[in-house]
Amino acid sequence: MHAPTATPDAARVGSDTIAALRLKLPHAVLDESWQTPTQATLTVKLDELPNVVSTLYHEHDGWLSVMAGNDERTINGNFALYYALSMEGAEKSFIVVRAEVPAATEEFPSVTPLVPAAVWHEREVRDMFGLTPVGLPDERRLVLPDDWPDGLHPLRKDSMDYRLRPEPTGDDETYQFKNDAKGETTVVPLGPLHITSDEPGHFRLFVDGEDIIDADYRMFYVHRGMEKVAETRMGYNEVTFLADRVCGICGYAHSVAYTTSIENALGIAVPARAQAIRSVLLETERLHSHLLNLGLACHFVGFDTGFMQFFRVREKTMTLAEMLTGSRKTYALNLIGGVRRDILGEQHVATLRLIGELREEVTRLVEMLLATPNLEGRVKGVGILDPGIAREYSPVGPTVRGSGHRRDTRVDHAFAGYGGVAMPVNVGDGCDVLSRTLVRVSEFFDSLSIIEQILADAPGGPVLTEDFTYKPHKFALGFTEAPRGEDIHWSMTGDNQKLFRWRCRASTYANWPVLRYMLRGNTVSDAPLIVASIDPCYSCTDRVTVVDVNKASSVTVPYKEMERYCRERTNSPLK
Amino acid sequence: MTRHITETDVRAAGPFAKIDTPADVVRMKSALLKDIRRSAYVYRVDCGGCNACEIEIFASITPVFDAERFGIKVVASPRHADILLFTGAVTRSMRMPALRAYEAAPDPKIVVSYGACGVSGGIFHDLYCVWGGTDKILPVDVYIPGCPPTPAATVYGFAVALGLLGQKLKAETHVQAEGERVAVAHPSIPYNLRVLVEREARRMAGYRQGGDIAEKFLVMLEQPGLVPLTDRMSTFAAAETDPRVAEILARLGDVVTEAIA
Repeated sequence: MHAPTATPDAARVGSDTIAALRLKLPHAVLDESWQTPTQATLTVKLDELPNVVSTLYHEHDGWLSVMAGNDERTINGNFALYYALSMEGAEKSFIVVRAEVPAATEEFPSVTPLVPAAVWHEREVRDMFGLTPVGLPDERRLVLPDDWPDGLHPLRKDSMDYRLRPEPTGDDETYQFKNDAKGETTVVPLGPLHITSDEPGHFRLFVDGEDIIDADYRMFYVHRGMEKVAETRMGYNEVTFLADRVCGICGYAHSVAYTTSIENALGIAVPARAQAIRSVLLETERLHSHLLNLGLACHFVGFDTGFMQFFRVREKTMTLAEMLTGSRKTYALNLIGGVRRDILGEQHVATLRLIGELREEVTRLVEMLLATPNLEGRVKGVGILDPGIAREYSPVGPTVRGSGHRRDTRVDHAFAGYGGVAMPVNVGDGCDVLSRTLVRVSEFFDSLSIIEQILADAPGGPVLTEDFTYKPHKFALGFTEAPRGEDIHWSMTGDNQKLFRWRCRASTYANWPVLRYMLRGNTVSDAPLIVASIDPCYSCTDRVTVVDVNKASSVTVPYKEMERYCRERTNSPLK
Repeated sequence: MTRHITETDVRAAGPFAKIDTPADVVRMKSALLKDIRRSAYVYRVDCGGCNACEIEIFASITPVFDAERFGIKVVASPRHADILLFTGAVTRSMRMPALRAYEAAPDPKIVVSYGACGVSGGIFHDLYCVWGGTDKILPVDVYIPGCPPTPAATVYGFAVALGLLGQKLKAETHVQAEGERVAVAHPSIPYNLRVLVEREARRMAGYRQGGDIAEKFLVMLEQPGLVPLTDRMSTFAAAETDPRVAEILARLGDVVTEAIA
């Protein structure tokens, strides 16, 4: 489909890695194409797919960012898989490994046994495209509801109208939860509905007395079918507003990731002023999100005064967002090629004033929080994310930075207006809840100074370019560093003024698979705290099933009770 | 695995029966709305929202907006609730949990549908994995629209739900009078030039602010006077204190100069 390009030149970052890969696996790579100077797509033989991904992952400092399936039968007769790796070694670039899956077999060799980070992506491709990952041990559904008909795969181009609603077949959940514990177990269910502000999810903890032996969870209670509607009902610019609604906390990051993917695919030169404005808004979003998480951290250790104080101060960031965008949430400010609103002198001045106030107030609150004696007792050494486990599963954001890995998309793959910004990457080596919280605190203050820097150096010129045309079947990655870590989108343009395929991977998606390891070995009362520490667009926990491995008994504890126990740590619900 | 779509496949909502409110509950509910003289407890049910609604509800109950001063309190269990607040477009997986929460709340209860998705399904209204809004599965009493609703709108919505505020309808009808016409803006400026100026201003500063700046500029152009046009434009730009606006005004001046030349 893509003509082989000329010999790689020096301006292309990643070409040395690709040369080394070709040397190691001489016959694997069939084709090489470049979307941007830092983004290459290699088409490889299907049988060599796991080896290629594993080589890039383990030998060249690759991290698996996203895997996108695509139904390309109308283009070349096959399905295609795109494993996007963020290369963070000597050459910082994105290398996308593409393999075609024949429509006749609908099978591909699973990458998960070599690179565990691929597990959710491969389960999702099986749900949405009906492609079977051969060798993937986990055969459960990921995205689709339990009562969704077998053999109906929403993202196949010929499978169904996007409005098709199969009849409900059963009201029971049939999801099988996994437990690696040896022997009999007791179950604590958490979810899917609960008090604070949380989205639905169902947890199951397997315990021995008070200690968590293993945990499993069922997510995607809120699967709505956004990727399908983007490909059928909407045009390119409409999807920027849909992307705003992927997540209510960090929606603007998704919107920027999506527009960047289209701009990269079509080679659109976005005006520098628009890019600077995007960065200012992304940092504004980070301010409110980190204050939210710090507030929740207070709440879960039973320090509700701190919780209310953080939320009081957080309103200043909402005022800032409203002044800059016209709305407190869902900014709706992006178009392909730029933004819809400028930052004029008046807003510039008001932004600086609010930033001054925020810096002062949050400094005071953080001092108060860290001086609270029961904080350290509750969060230090709790919810350890082993750096080795983190390396296997490619988590992102403060979750991975709290375990010593220096990963930040803003620095590794500068996008939007971050090119000339001086900013540190904050890492912690405690690997625990405390470490992740402190990373967020430092990032909050960094965001303040990033906004100041960008405003001071913002270039003039227009905020929007319309000097481009859409070309069919162009594709590229777009990426941002959302408050919870890297958001990454893979888009392919279609021939009918609509997307052919849009794959959107939110940061929390990359962080869930490691949560199981973070919960193991902790006590039941720390579970809500640990879940909140990955900031999963809120602790998606409501009903915990606790399974006692020795007593062979099962207790179902309402989330309210779990949360109370987390905060007070008396009167265990298990006794 | 092709499926042929038939009329019955693409249905507005599921084939299950929608819950109807019994007559005695309707009567009790109206009494509750009329006579409520106490705190109201709210239980939130997230039926597939994106969290924007959830976070704005959170903002409404924390210190700056503080809905608790009106006695509105968010509770942890539907069994304690007077008001059930449903957000999200009702995804396929959340239908049963939502119905169970509704069943668990004691009668009489008030159902509030919150946010664009809860009210109508919003941007997701016709997708395969949602049912398209709270009222497709439950009887709804109050709708709070917005994407997401602001905390002020949320508190107002609660107040409406409690019957604290009467619904004030201010209907106003405008009938076009004989010969009444919409006035053309800036009639003395040639149409093509006006379009050029407005388009450039929007390219420079976006729809809202670009529109404002273009309007200011056009008003200046229309003012009568003997001073040459180019001088007037440069004085105008120079008088602007905000350097960014001055830059844009200078650019608009260039557009006019180019168009005239």
